[in-house]
Amino acid sequence: MTTFSFQSLTRRAFAGTALALMTALATPLAAQETVKIGLIASLSGPSSKSGEAITRGMMLAIEEINADGGLLGMPVELIRRDDEGNPGKGLTAARELVQREGVAVLFGGLQTPVSLALVPYMNQSQKPFMGPWAAGTPITKNGAEENYIFRVSAVDEMVDIALVERAMSVHGAKNPGMMLINNPWGESNEKGLTAALEAAGLPTAGIERVEANDIDVVPQLTRLKEAGADAIFMVANVGPSAQVMKSLERMGWDVPVVSHWGPAGGRFSELAGPRAKDVEMIQTFTFSGNDSPMAAETLEALKAMFPEIKGPADVTPAVGIANAYDAMHLTALAIKNAGSLDGPAIRQGYYDIETHEGLIKTYENPFTPDDQDALGPEDYVFTRFIDGEIIPIE
Amino acid sequence: MIVSTLITGLALGSMYGLMALGFHITYAVSKTVNFSQGSSMMFGAVMGYTFMVTLGWPFWIGIPAALACCAVLGLVVERLLVRPFAARGSDAWLMATVAGGIVLDNVVLFTFGKEPRSLPSPFTESAVEFLGTGAYPLQLIIPVVGLAIALGLTLVTTRTKLGKAMLASVQRPEAARLTGVNTQTVIAASFAISAVFAGVAGLLIAPLFNVSSGMGLIFGIKAFAAAILGGISSAWGVMIAGILYGCIEALTTAYIGSSYTQIVSFSVVILVLVTVPNGLFGRAELKKV
Amino acid sequence: MSDAATPAFRLRLTKALLHPLTSVVAILALTGLAILFALGANGYIVFILALFAMNVVVGVGLNILLGLSGQISFGHVGFFAIGAYTVAIMVLAGFDYWLAFLAAGVVNAVAGVLLAVPALRVAGPYLAMMTIAFAFIVEHAAIELRHLTGGHNGLMGFRAPEFAGRMFFEKEVAIAALILAAIACLLFLRLSRGRWGAAMRAVADSEVAAQSVGLNPIAIKTVAFVLSAVLTGLAGALFTPLQMFISPGSFPFFQSILFLLAVIVGGTGRLFGPVVGSLIVVLLPEVLSGMAEYRLLIFGGIMMGVLLLAPKGIVGGLMQLISAEDPTPAKPSGKDPLAFLAPKAGVERPELKVRDLGINFGGVQAAKDVSFTAPPGKVTSVIGPNGAGKTTVLNMISGFYTPDSGAIELHEDLAGRPAYRMARAGVARTYQTTQLFENLSVRENILIALGTGRLGWLLGGTPGAGAIATADDLLAFVGYKGPVGRRAGDLPHVDKRLVEIARALATQPSLLLLDEPAAGLMHSDKEALSALILKIAEAGVAVVLVEHDMSLLMSISDEIIVLDAGVPIKTGSPAEVQQDPDVRRAYLGDSAYQGRARPEIREFGHAKEVLSTRGLTAGYGAAAALSDVEVDVEPGEMVAVLGANGAGKSTMMRALSGLHRPVEGAILLDLKHIEDMPASKIAHAGLSLVPEGRQVFPQMSVRDNILMGAYTRDDLNAEAEIEALLTRFPRLRDRIDMPAGVLSGGEQQMLAIARGLIANPRILLLDEPSLGLAPAIIAELYDVLADLRDEGVTVLLVDQMATLALAVADRAYVLENGRVVKAGSSAELRKDASIEEAYLGGGVAAE
Repeated sequence: MTTFSFQSLTRRAFAGTALALMTALATPLAAQETVKIGLIASLSGPSSKSGEAITRGMMLAIEEINADGGLLGMPVELIRRDDEGNPGKGLTAARELVQREGVAVLFGGLQTPVSLALVPYMNQSQKPFMGPWAAGTPITKNGAEENYIFRVSAVDEMVDIALVERAMSVHGAKNPGMMLINNPWGESNEKGLTAALEAAGLPTAGIERVEANDIDVVPQLTRLKEAGADAIFMVANVGPSAQVMKSLERMGWDVPVVSHWGPAGGRFSELAGPRAKDVEMIQTFTFSGNDSPMAAETLEALKAMFPEIKGPADVTPAVGIANAYDAMHLTALAIKNAGSLDGPAIRQGYYDIETHEGLIKTYENPFTPDDQDALGPEDYVFTRFIDGEIIPIE
Repeated sequence: MIVSTLITGLALGSMYGLMALGFHITYAVSKTVNFSQGSSMMFGAVMGYTFMVTLGWPFWIGIPAALACCAVLGLVVERLLVRPFAARGSDAWLMATVAGGIVLDNVVLFTFGKEPRSLPSPFTESAVEFLGTGAYPLQLIIPVVGLAIALGLTLVTTRTKLGKAMLASVQRPEAARLTGVNTQTVIAASFAISAVFAGVAGLLIAPLFNVSSGMGLIFGIKAFAAAILGGISSAWGVMIAGILYGCIEALTTAYIGSSYTQIVSFSVVILVLVTVPNGLFGRAELKKV
Repeated sequence: MSDAATPAFRLRLTKALLHPLTSVVAILALTGLAILFALGANGYIVFILALFAMNVVVGVGLNILLGLSGQISFGHVGFFAIGAYTVAIMVLAGFDYWLAFLAAGVVNAVAGVLLAVPALRVAGPYLAMMTIAFAFIVEHAAIELRHLTGGHNGLMGFRAPEFAGRMFFEKEVAIAALILAAIACLLFLRLSRGRWGAAMRAVADSEVAAQSVGLNPIAIKTVAFVLSAVLTGLAGALFTPLQMFISPGSFPFFQSILFLLAVIVGGTGRLFGPVVGSLIVVLLPEVLSGMAEYRLLIFGGIMMGVLLLAPKGIVGGLMQLISAEDPTPAKPSGKDPLAFLAPKAGVERPELKVRDLGINFGGVQAAKDVSFTAPPGKVTSVIGPNGAGKTTVLNMISGFYTPDSGAIELHEDLAGRPAYRMARAGVARTYQTTQLFENLSVRENILIALGTGRLGWLLGGTPGAGAIATADDLLAFVGYKGPVGRRAGDLPHVDKRLVEIARALATQPSLLLLDEPAAGLMHSDKEALSALILKIAEAGVAVVLVEHDMSLLMSISDEIIVLDAGVPIKTGSPAEVQQDPDVRRAYLGDSAYQGRARPEIREFGHAKEVLSTRGLTAGYGAAAALSDVEVDVEPGEMVAVLGANGAGKSTMMRALSGLHRPVEGAILLDLKHIEDMPASKIAHAGLSLVPEGRQVFPQMSVRDNILMGAYTRDDLNAEAEIEALLTRFPRLRDRIDMPAGVLSGGEQQMLAIARGLIANPRILLLDEPSLGLAPAIIAELYDVLADLRDEGVTVLLVDQMATLALAVADRAYVLENGRVVKAGSSAELRKDASIEEAYLGGGVAAE
């Protein structure tokens, strides 16, 4: 009998120690006295510059919020995780931030596939998710009854309408072709562009795809050229977009290129060579050529906060900064409206925002249960890359 | 379209061939390969960028300097990650070189930076007309350089004392030692040459593509596929297989669609190995009992 | 703990740790603890626990492949993805989760077979490539088969699995994964201790030896591959309900490397290796979550460190630190193993009938018209000079080479069957260089052979007491006295030979082929071996013996077949063979050509030696192939070294030239010590060896071959010196630009000598220059050697053709069992009858 109880005792002690060890692993050491905001984005790899921009936008907003006394009497803290552009990694990181770190709102998903992977999990765990970048239409229009996904960014189907409109009105396109990245973002825009073209009553010269590692896109472009394309819609990230422009240069084909905002994420001017400046690219915001006082103030604040920023050319992609900056302030309002860090309450808090004077525009009732996107076609501007700087056209 | 497709295929393929030649050399001399050959390629391009763009050295210093760095890298890999295992008859060099590649890629990621850069080249400034299609002069130069290096290797191994010593070590290692050749040095040299070839490929391909810490991984794997496809024991076999592999890729991209490129090219490798287990030009090794 | 108690304590500890019950208890306890913890915890840590458990399952699968069967796979993420997608697709189509779970196993089994069949035809880097290609194809197929897999967007929105009315969310999936991990570990435990696991390890150690005990390597490796694929697929099947979302991006190629990393870092082949490895791979990034971006850098560093510092992984390294060897020797049951070897009642022992066997390799007829019979109960020997085709004949009979013609009858014609089927038909063999399963214990080596390829149920248990008793009886029978638990690779040479014979006997063979069993044995061991061979024959086994030790062979053979250049030239009793003139010629040289002696007698003994050895001792394993050899060569002298095959002549040449290292004693070249130098340095010091078998560089031209010989020289006058050599070897002149590989044997020998001469060596060593050459060529060759001698070149010559060597040499040494037993002038030794005995055996043992 004694032996038995001794054994069970050691076993219990064992279990207890192990339990304690693992719990120590599971919970952060410091007691929670901050409002935690999570960010999942590509912090490494070809899109890391965008991740950096989002970080800067959020940090600037958080500094302002904290200077104002924080939220609910607590300072705001940013916790970042790298998703390496991989949906699986993103999902794991989301679980960690939501369950282990207990973030109030999760920002993230630079790439549409990563965001799409997070959507069901965020809705299921009833934590608000704020998208400052990925434009895939189904991210916010995900069909969930209780939708926790908000966005301050472009939306593919609206971007696509704007792209078609520009190709028609400025370039007189009658038979445009598509060059799309072979991933869900490309797929999302294939749907959007096809619908927009249909609505405009235009045919398409062809739909071609480019891979992230392609060195040569001449065959795809040749097919478009042979099909009589008179303008090209380009939807791809920096690397492949640069390859498209280099291939166009080799072919000597001087065709208008109307692009989604993919090239904005990195050193497009350097990578794409002389044709980089020919790309007409949609943006939600630029510092260059922006005469609003708020833009100038924010740029100064950024320079003060990040010494490596010297001028507008160092804040590419500005959209990342602006979207994240506005999204963070809107989130702060939502939390204030909610009065707690409870997910459903914050969600309601987003709906309750009335007016907010932001960097991109002044938001009026930005979110409703029917439209969880704060930005629309009226907020888009077309830009060019000139010597590494994104400049609005006109 | 076929012309531009083939230009791309030849350019890519000769780079695969060049890197595959690197696999071949070390395999022939020591029955081991550097599985981080892709990282050596990346290292060549990154060092080239650092010397010529960041530091602004002229190309005639920058390129040799970058290749010298690759040679040193090859020597380090051999000494640290291959020789200790080969000496005790273990084949753990395989995983050790993989690990070495991971470490190098990540060290470069944190020192060189996370963003891809562009390596400028006088041969990609403007396109030229070639057989009715536009191409950068570099695209036309690459296959020539690739074949010239392969030819150079053949000449060096058949005409120079050192090269002959290398051939001798491949064919009859013991007899080579008996004539005074230090085979250990030959093996180390083969790893250096192998890394230099990868570095050349990196420097040539970078202006067409970009320079980043992760650029070598896929290239290295494809070059290894080419080496296996050709039969790793045959020098010209792996060069031809490299060009073949590049052309298969380019043709698949052009006529079936780029999304099928990897499926088609890797399936070809499996199918070839199923029919000819020693690769297209490889020799079976007589089993000794 | 006193010093004396330490080994005993460590032994008890080792035994306790390795006891299967310990492992079972540990697995169950750990699993129980983890489940208890999962029940109590919630959220993210449960998710991590589930990931860990899945990694363990995959790791165990990879461990079966890598740790047991010795094959590598960079493609396991492909199997993982197939499992995950199978479940996702089926669940979305409305099937029950658990049905889909089982289906994932089946689909992966099929995928495993489909990949294994082509992959296992290749090895090394080719296999690695095959698995890499597989992983990429799976990843891209998942992207392109959009209607099935959802393309890049992946699949989501699965109904949670349900079991016994309970919905499976994170916690339940984690528990299921833990249970699966426990099952996988128990499976591995059972497998690795059973016959299949032993067979896998045997195949990993030596495919050749595995076949000769009846194991089919392809089948065994395929089973390992498929098991591994199924486990990995099942882990993938649990991944789907855990993540509730899968896309091609969830299965990057890189994940395969992380899977491998877990196994290698933990300890390949160890039960708990994948557990420890998965802990590191899954938990380390959580502990260092602030340093997440350095994750891969840290992993790469850990992997390099472990490979270099603890090649057996963490668990393997720890076990090595504490483990101690069990010194228990074989415990014979007292039963006579002869009864085990005797034919079963009513079955007649077959006679081996070999008829007209022939084979050629790339145009060289290695064996032709070989016919003989080997009756049960008799010792039939095959002899012949080096290169006569003896081992080739054994390889055909044992199924490693497929003969081009002829029959091999043992009850029925077996010619052309693969080796493992030959073994099952009753052919057992040993090898010139022993081929034990080095990483198995001595006893396991025997146990695995007992079934002759019949492995039984996959998870069949450890061998029973009966099998162990038989194994120990056999070990005792062959005279093995060491511990049965010792790793076979650590055995001394003589014990390896004995264990290999015991292993061959364990297959209950009708025919036993012994390939040079006495090579490297000491005299007393050889006597015991003779007795053992006779006892085996007595049991009714037909014994075929290939052996160089003529006195041993002559004393135990019933009949002898003499091969020369692949053709049998004489069959008869030992006495008949010894008297046969053809045999004498084949062994001792053509009596028609006498060789040219030095025209005038020169006096030696005044100059300083060019080459001398003092107490030179060298060996392979425990047995010394050379002991205390003292040889001197003066400038201008030609000295011969004589002795039977296996006497140590070649070892001596290799030791002198630096190919054999390390050696004991001293070797002096021009009075400078060279015994620690490697071969290339010795070549630079002025010693040039023309190696046995010529070793010309086959793809290089004759000219380049010669020039390679001058590698050490800076003062070469290439044109003139090559011209001088061509005058000496006129046969090479026409072939100067041909690749050396196409030259005939004689021409290659001339070339090899030319290559040695152009180095302008202080001394030229020749190892068996006449081997395998036609008489006319031998005459030409020896004329050249006589010329060189007369011109004052210093030469040390080894040749089996003793008469010839003595004809041209000034002096000679006679080696026997690695010792110099005679030395003297050629004239004296020519008259000494004991030389002939050393070669052909005197009929009575020479000592």
